[in-house]
Amino acid sequence: MKRIRFHGRGGQGMKTASRIVGTASFLEGYIAQDCPVYGAERRGAPIQAYTRVSKNPILERGVIVHPDITIIADETLLDDRTANVFQGVYGGTITMINTHYSSAHVRERFGISGKIVTLDMTDIVLTQIGKPVLSSVAAASASKLTGMVTRQSLKEAIVRELFSVDIPKEVVKKNVEAALICFDRTPDIHIDHSEPMKEDNTFVKLEYSGPYLGTPSTYARGNTVLKKTGNWRLFKPVIDHERCSRCRACFVHCPHSCISLDTAGYPRIDYENCKGCLICLEECPKKVILKKREVREW
Amino acid sequence: MVKEMLTGNFAAAWGARLSGVDYVPAFPITPQTEIIEVISKWVNSGVMDTKFTNMDSEHSMITAAGTAAATGARVFSATSSQGLLYGCEMLYAVAGWRVPFVLINVSRGLSAPITLEPDHNDVLSARDTGLIQLHVETCQEILDTILMAFRIAEDERVFLPVLINMDGFYLSFTREPVEIPGLDEVREFLPEYRPGHAFFLASKPMAQGVAVLGGSVYSYFRYQMHLASSNALRVHNEVAAEFKSIFGRAYSAVEPFKTEDAEYIILMTNSFTVKGKDAVNRFREKGIKVGLVRLRLVRPFPFQELREYLRGKKALAVIDQNISPGSGGILYNEVTSALYHEPNRPGAVLSFIGGLGGKDISLAEFSFILDEMQKSVETGIVPETQLLYTEQDMKNMNNFLNIAGKG
Repeated sequence: MKRIRFHGRGGQGMKTASRIVGTASFLEGYIAQDCPVYGAERRGAPIQAYTRVSKNPILERGVIVHPDITIIADETLLDDRTANVFQGVYGGTITMINTHYSSAHVRERFGISGKIVTLDMTDIVLTQIGKPVLSSVAAASASKLTGMVTRQSLKEAIVRELFSVDIPKEVVKKNVEAALICFDRTPDIHIDHSEPMKEDNTFVKLEYSGPYLGTPSTYARGNTVLKKTGNWRLFKPVIDHERCSRCRACFVHCPHSCISLDTAGYPRIDYENCKGCLICLEECPKKVILKKREVREW
Repeated sequence: MVKEMLTGNFAAAWGARLSGVDYVPAFPITPQTEIIEVISKWVNSGVMDTKFTNMDSEHSMITAAGTAAATGARVFSATSSQGLLYGCEMLYAVAGWRVPFVLINVSRGLSAPITLEPDHNDVLSARDTGLIQLHVETCQEILDTILMAFRIAEDERVFLPVLINMDGFYLSFTREPVEIPGLDEVREFLPEYRPGHAFFLASKPMAQGVAVLGGSVYSYFRYQMHLASSNALRVHNEVAAEFKSIFGRAYSAVEPFKTEDAEYIILMTNSFTVKGKDAVNRFREKGIKVGLVRLRLVRPFPFQELREYLRGKKALAVIDQNISPGSGGILYNEVTSALYHEPNRPGAVLSFIGGLGGKDISLAEFSFILDEMQKSVETGIVPETQLLYTEQDMKNMNNFLNIAGKG
């Protein structure tokens, strides 16, 4: 059995990616299982999805603790402790990261075990599809790494899954093209069958701990200020203050209150928290806001 | 017949569609929403000839389901967790009206703290309402059980609503291959509903659920519900036999897995049972005689079947994916009471709480359970209810306590 775990952010298409691999494996004649896990649905929140592919009936369900293949579709999750992208990664795991950095750089920076593969999927989808949706390309890489899915089944699975969520025909076609590029650029490496990490088998007996510890209450000050949500932005809005008429349309429409006015009345963007939705660019009547592609350094 | 990758929710929608339901009153709640989304889409596009109403709450939804069923309509609905609890007052009422319909509960832990992932305190809170309860393991079983549930609910010997429980996420959003039977086969098994019972007609005034004062009338009707529920066991087995002859898939009130020569038995319900089966397979590879029993029918409780599978075993471990604060596992209490008068009952019956709020049950946890069973057999000492909680779980918990400012 191959166990694939997808990590991404809400809106990037990881649930669909897990389904495409599920359907492609099913079309190949394997027994497949796919499943997303998320909390309250929200764009940008870290989510996980899982696909299992097997020749025999699958006697497992739910979370994949020790993945054979991990797809990390958003490199900014690497630094997010709550996203826990390296959980249960063992010597046999292949980790595929969507980044422009080399695998050597990732290994050095995070010190993870297993094989690491990197590919700039975002670049491929921006060129081929024009939008940063990663479902088809992430599915393509995962499919290649299983060694169990052919190009043909991958293609058919993308068509089926994207049609089922009413994606227009021409967009589906672009997705297939981007996916096939990703499939071909993903190295044809195989999974070592080294032993998975041992499960914790020391059990504890919980003792009564009083209402302070025993109730789901939070005493710490909010830590949301520490979450730089601008961290995973793909495009940065840049205001040309020379041509800005100070009409305040961007200030009014910013859904995250990331635009404030300086003492002269010019809009200033809080880049630490701007998610790059580009509504300001849409709303600017004089079109003096530009978008600039951002590539992170880490 | 076609085979497709379906989520548990989609399989449930297919069950309703193939059953030819007349009416679906609905109210959305995660992780059930996809069921009613799919049905409303099908109704809108005309592939499902069904009246669909989006209600203002689960309380109204259950009321609408019961009253529509009282007119002789075939009714389907679905809810989850807090929604089931909000409709709970009406569950007692509709069961008391003795109206047949099918209700899905997509299990999700109850607040507080809030979660979206499953355990079974929601469905077991409806344990004593009078609804028949079937707990399923796979996406295929959801579809199949809906077809069977209408036969059980509409049987003159039962005439009660049936509640089917499936786990959130572990089934609701999990896709796996599911056979969708053809409509002809389904109609052979489940014909169109022709109620031979008194039902509401505009031209024929009648009253249902009337007030009764003086306990003897009340006692009579309440006990009738108990008898009707008890009958459902026999009806279930008949319906399951017929289902097998048409569709080839076998279901029983209690599902045994490698129990015949087993010395140790693990008892579970619902979707986590697949993990239990995997553990049993691994123990068997090491030559340890372990088996598993899954309770599919929770109401009526299958006393006889259970006793037969557990007779003469060295030890039994009940894993409750629920918790009755101050008591322990709900099913543990039911299982031990069922075994009390069985002379050849298991030497030790152990109680474990696991999988609460969707927490994984790992192979290490099953190994721990087996060790505890063997220890109890050797020493004759049966431990109190134990929570399956590892040092790693505690480490994670302490991390969260630190984040919450309690370090």
